[in-house]
Amino acid sequence: MKIFQVAYDLLKEAVARKWFLGLGVALTLAMSIIGLSLRLDVVDGVLAASRLFGDVLSTDIQSVDVALRPVFRVFSFVVFYGGLILGILVCSGFAPTIFNEGRIEHLLSLPISRFELLAGTFLGVLLLSAMGTLYGTVGLTVILGVKTGFWTCALIQSGVIATSTFGTIYMAMLVAALFVRSAPLGAAVGGVVLVAGFISCFRQELLEMMEPGFWQQTLKWGLAPFPRVHLVASLAANTAQSMDVSLWTGARQLLSQGVFSLAIFFFGWWKFEQKDF
Amino acid sequence: MTAIIEAIDLKKTYFSPFRRQRTEALRGVSISVKAGETFGLIGLNGAGKTTFIKSLLSVVRFDSGALTVLGGNPENPAVRAQIGYLPERLDLPRAFSARDFLRSVGRLKGTSDVDSQAQKLLNALGLSYRSRAKIGGFSKGMRQRLGLAGALMGRPRLLVLDEPTDGIDPIGRTEIRKILQEEKKQNGTTIFLNSHLLSETERVADRIAIIAHGKVVREGALQELCIQKKCWEVTVAPGGHVPQLMTTCGFVSAGEGDHRTWKRECDDAAEMNGLIASLISKGIVFEEFFHPFERLEEVLSNSLKEHPESVPPGGVQ
Repeated sequence: MKIFQVAYDLLKEAVARKWFLGLGVALTLAMSIIGLSLRLDVVDGVLAASRLFGDVLSTDIQSVDVALRPVFRVFSFVVFYGGLILGILVCSGFAPTIFNEGRIEHLLSLPISRFELLAGTFLGVLLLSAMGTLYGTVGLTVILGVKTGFWTCALIQSGVIATSTFGTIYMAMLVAALFVRSAPLGAAVGGVVLVAGFISCFRQELLEMMEPGFWQQTLKWGLAPFPRVHLVASLAANTAQSMDVSLWTGARQLLSQGVFSLAIFFFGWWKFEQKDF
Repeated sequence: MTAIIEAIDLKKTYFSPFRRQRTEALRGVSISVKAGETFGLIGLNGAGKTTFIKSLLSVVRFDSGALTVLGGNPENPAVRAQIGYLPERLDLPRAFSARDFLRSVGRLKGTSDVDSQAQKLLNALGLSYRSRAKIGGFSKGMRQRLGLAGALMGRPRLLVLDEPTDGIDPIGRTEIRKILQEEKKQNGTTIFLNSHLLSETERVADRIAIIAHGKVVREGALQELCIQKKCWEVTVAPGGHVPQLMTTCGFVSAGEGDHRTWKRECDDAAEMNGLIASLISKGIVFEEFFHPFERLEEVLSNSLKEHPESVPPGGVQ
């Protein structure tokens, strides 16, 4: 499949860039600082008694996974939002570069379809962000594991959810590049989707604060199509805390992201097919 | 010979955002290019050359007309796999090495012996010593050579070159000309060329089409186009009576004071023969007698003068 070839070339080009190396060094440095400076001790071993002679103790002694939940929650949010912002900034240049004059003509003259080019570019960036997230979450998992003695891959799972949200945001950025070949504009579009997706989770509360009328309706319908980013961030945080997550709720949130991404992709594909370069 | 490119009445109009302005880039272009020939497309800036070239690769979708490339529709990736293309303003991936770029092109074209072909092309285009260096550090000429190597990857049946020698020094141009001639000779590759450097086009093209304001105004074999059929040029042996006799018969001196070379406009070959016969009878010795050739620049300029409707508003640039 040519999609994988396009994605492979994009990854190869990204890895060959100096800033990619710089990003890896920056991530490693950030994790080293966390690892060296974070004060985190688990007292009394892995599991302390939570009941005594059948009675629940009114103490703060609790199992280590429960005790560490707030820590994993914070790390999950840092990975989620930090990763999204970093991803938007770092990946904003890929699509405009590919659609650049002189580059796109050459690519389109090769025996690949426009669908393959668009999907391959998306896949390449998604894989790149997945690599970055994996590196970050594995690093944090190791730091937390070494410091607490509690090993779990929940933070990595949470990172996978964050990557899926980045995929949704990047799809909008990719399609925006079809209209205007500009990295800052791509980043701005990513920022708008992120902020609108965040606000859309508090849509009901916001609407109640507004006077009924045009602006209320504008906000209501304006925010309606955006993916519920903060709900997905909470889903990722709950996953990182190893809390029970309703499969249906999780699937519904991820599915709504998927529908948004697909709608944007098909619109972008249609536009790409119409476009002359 | 079979037609490699068959374009019939191609039309393409560009619209500005919100359709406020329209530009007719192609106004019914019909061109036929036969297998194994080198075809040059020339014209002024904005004449529609690049739009036509991009239509050949489905980078631009024409509005109406019919186009067949290598016997198929260029929308079909299998057809494009047999075409090598060098765009006018080539933008190569700067982080790639020359070898990486050729490998990428080769794989996308489905070439079987990617590595050996890439090495051969790097050697042929004088880039093997920088094969592992990043393209970002290449000069314009080196990038152009690499772009040409990319176009030659996969042994294409048709090479579409948009300003191939742009930014290349004179020696480099000669080398590229040689490479193209070898490619044509060895593999029978058809070459479709668009170049502003008319002297380059003159040297390589078998046939030429002149496009102006989206229409082909002249098309034909290079010799056919450049020959001045209405004009005759003669060289005569020197003699004291020559100038007087020649001017009496309507000839104008074309040399620099030696009165050996003379020109005369004449549509009718029989009339010209009569004149020459009378001059011979009067003792004039003719050494040469031929239609002079025009430079391609003159052909282009004259064609545009003959078709003023094809010159865009604002005149010739």
